[in-house]
Amino acid sequence: MKRVIYLIILIGIIFGGLKACIHRDISDVETEIPITQGVNIDKYSINQIFPNPKTVTIKGIDYLQSQLPVGNFGGRIIASTIGEGPKTFNPFTAKDATSSQMANMMYDGLVSANPVTGEVIPKLAKSIEIKGNNYIIHLRHGIKWSDGKPITADDVVFTWQDIVFKGLGNTSVRDSIIIDGKLPEIKKIDNYTVVFTVPKPFAPFLRILANPIAPKHYFTSIPDWENSFDRILATTINPKEIVYSGAFHLKKYVPAQRVVFDRNPNYYEINLKKQKLPYLNQVVYLIVGDLNNEILKFEGKEIDTINLQGATVARYKSKEAASDYAIYNLGPDTGTMFLAINLNNRKNEKGKPYVSYLKQKWFSDLNFRTAIDYAVDRDSMVTNIAQGLAEPLFTSESLNGIYLNKDIKGHKRDLKYAESLLKQSGFYKSKNGLLYDKSGNKVEFDLYTNAGNTERESIGVMIKQDLADLGMTVNFKPVEFNTLVNKLTNTYDWDMCIMGLTGSPLEPHNGKNVWNSYGPLHLFNQRPPQYNKDDRLSWEKELDNIFEEGALKLNFNDRKKYYDRYQQIIYDERPIIYLYSPTRVVAIRRKFKNVYPTTLSGILYNIEEIYIGNDK
Amino acid sequence: MNILKYILKRIIQIIPLLFIVSIISFFIIRLSPIDPLAELRLNPSISQETLQKETQRLGLDKPIPVQYTKWAVSFVKGDLGVTSSGERVSDKLKERIPNTLLLTSIVIFMTWAVGVPLGILGAIYHKSQFDRLLTVLSSIGMAIPSFFFAILLLIFAVKTSIFPVGGLTSFDFDEMSLGGKILDLARHLVLPVTVLFTISLASLQRQMRANMLEVMDSEYVKFARAKGLSEFKVIFKHALRNALNPMITLLGFEFAGLLSGAALTEYVFQYPGLGRLILEAVMKSDINLVMASLMMGSIMLVLGNLLADILLIITDPRIRGAR
Repeated sequence: MKRVIYLIILIGIIFGGLKACIHRDISDVETEIPITQGVNIDKYSINQIFPNPKTVTIKGIDYLQSQLPVGNFGGRIIASTIGEGPKTFNPFTAKDATSSQMANMMYDGLVSANPVTGEVIPKLAKSIEIKGNNYIIHLRHGIKWSDGKPITADDVVFTWQDIVFKGLGNTSVRDSIIIDGKLPEIKKIDNYTVVFTVPKPFAPFLRILANPIAPKHYFTSIPDWENSFDRILATTINPKEIVYSGAFHLKKYVPAQRVVFDRNPNYYEINLKKQKLPYLNQVVYLIVGDLNNEILKFEGKEIDTINLQGATVARYKSKEAASDYAIYNLGPDTGTMFLAINLNNRKNEKGKPYVSYLKQKWFSDLNFRTAIDYAVDRDSMVTNIAQGLAEPLFTSESLNGIYLNKDIKGHKRDLKYAESLLKQSGFYKSKNGLLYDKSGNKVEFDLYTNAGNTERESIGVMIKQDLADLGMTVNFKPVEFNTLVNKLTNTYDWDMCIMGLTGSPLEPHNGKNVWNSYGPLHLFNQRPPQYNKDDRLSWEKELDNIFEEGALKLNFNDRKKYYDRYQQIIYDERPIIYLYSPTRVVAIRRKFKNVYPTTLSGILYNIEEIYIGNDK
Repeated sequence: MNILKYILKRIIQIIPLLFIVSIISFFIIRLSPIDPLAELRLNPSISQETLQKETQRLGLDKPIPVQYTKWAVSFVKGDLGVTSSGERVSDKLKERIPNTLLLTSIVIFMTWAVGVPLGILGAIYHKSQFDRLLTVLSSIGMAIPSFFFAILLLIFAVKTSIFPVGGLTSFDFDEMSLGGKILDLARHLVLPVTVLFTISLASLQRQMRANMLEVMDSEYVKFARAKGLSEFKVIFKHALRNALNPMITLLGFEFAGLLSGAALTEYVFQYPGLGRLILEAVMKSDINLVMASLMMGSIMLVLGNLLADILLIITDPRIRGAR
């Protein structure tokens, strides 16, 4: 008897303890508060003009002058980075986003982009003249590296000639500026002038100048620097040795915990009162393992800003009024979610087709692809999977892209139209509701995505149901990420696949690896490497032309015509069916001022201008 | 002299063992379909050329036996190689080892300092209410999954703000005074230590209690009692010394656990330890890092066992005699 009483008391204690932990988290108000653009967006609208910094010369020094309101000096901001933290502080060897972000804190490029319009604006360069195929860069006079050595033409030539063109470190910058097999030439005119000569007019070139500039005297002071290039600015470096040009510099890196940056007291940007920026003394990036931990840290007030997703947005929104943070809905993000259809009609080395002849016949039928497009219910994906924080997508350029073709309006789900298209191609529905092609074969195929990505898995389930309405039998198979990549880039034995790729909203030419018929990521009709037979479809040929010629036009409006056409082709031919684009929502504590979050650049891009206001 | 010879023999035995362990693990990792370059392959801005360069750098273009030989030769030379992202494996391990040692040694010290006495008490006051309470508590401790308990404690930390949400040090750690630093470390350690302590305490206490009970029931303890020795002497001089033997073997295993860390708990608390590092490495098939940690784990296990055996020789005259 006694034992029973003990047991009851114990259970009571445990439950009491658990109950205390499950603290009421969600307010009693209905949490489905729609996060419409306009809640905070009124203040910082996407269309608002972000004033470009100007160049001001004081006592022979060409400063960059911020045009934002003058603020207070001091304080720190704590942000976070998800994953394992930086792998290097060398901007030229960085291959992952976190490493580049950290390295770029310390090294400025010649140009940067306006966060609202995407227009190219000078940064380390004072101005840029474009004369035919020559880009004449005028550097700022009197600005210095952190060790007092001037930043001159030699550094620029060194960076491009000896690092980028030679292919040291990450070669993606070099690969993207090879024009007709040739690299641009670079020449020093005088200490503050450099000329780049491109073999042909090449529009993406100007933006590529945002690549950081390296301090020549520092890099070359390292013994055998070319062969030990990967070791330069490694994470084990003593921060005191680093020579930098950026607004902040590495103070301390604690592996798996944080990266601390201190203010550069001699930065070349000033405010309207001619005081040297940045305002903040310190920027700290906490290294967090995953999204959940980041959310906990934001709630525990250990970090000041966060990217919000899905269900958390509604919860945060309902608590916003009583909290010390503001939430900004920045509109559609650069990410795109799509359904790719394998149009491959080639055979592997053993003479076996990558996609069976039967399926090839279906997939190459435009009516079949269009029917799928019309059967897919984007609206319910947006509501159910992205919790309303997304927008239906019909174009290959993301919705915030400056080259977005706004004439493509898309369509609603239309099963009747989809069925009529299938009928045209001779497909028919049997009595049990299954779809058969005109030779009487049951329409059944596989749909892949990477397992573990819950968003893509949910999309797969919805597509399976949507297509079942047409009578198609879809075998949805989430597989391991590596297996999927192998299928897409190596064995080509897949039917349909749900994927997402990140593109650049500013430069459609970056997608050439996907859209060029012989590109290494031409997923929907992948040709093996060194494939030289010309079996391009007519619209693939047109795409190739567009990507070749679009890059040669320098004027925005001229280029836009090309890229509008490319989006129209993808929309008409539907080798890839775009589904939706997630919305980017960020939160930051209200004490931070001069915060102008935009969908193109995010929230901390103007970190040197951000300050802590008096009203806390 | 005999002992020295024995130790030497045991150490030499480690070599073939390591060889077998390394071959098995290397091939298993390499046969898994994980491609360390999968992320890069799907990045539109990475060119074919870069991919080839990376493949060569990681040696993925060579057959597995060649890869293994290359790894084994450099391992014997004391070079652990570089991770898939180009950092030195030895640097990465060096960063994490002190953190893991700090956590595991605190936990092991605490569990032994508390668990063994509680086990003894449980045996002495066998079937008393105190013993029953301990039994219930330790059953709970054994039953709670560590990650679940860790998450509960994290929620507690967020709600109350008494403890920080994971990590090992605060962002302004470097600006603190010595006392402040110690306090800061302690605040961060409380939650992960609590989780690991609760779980290992339970089994240790049970083990000790069982050993002790067995010994207390034996003939020589009865004889000691019959001889009229005081209860204190019976327990501490006769029973305890015999009951401790199995615990010493256990201590050897604990030694191996010093560096293998507690991946799940470390992950939930974002603790910058070895466990988390290795978990992330396995996910990416970062072969050099995984191999280094597996080798380290095997060496620690063998050393721990050796240590336990030596301790047994010292404490137990029966084993000494048998040799």
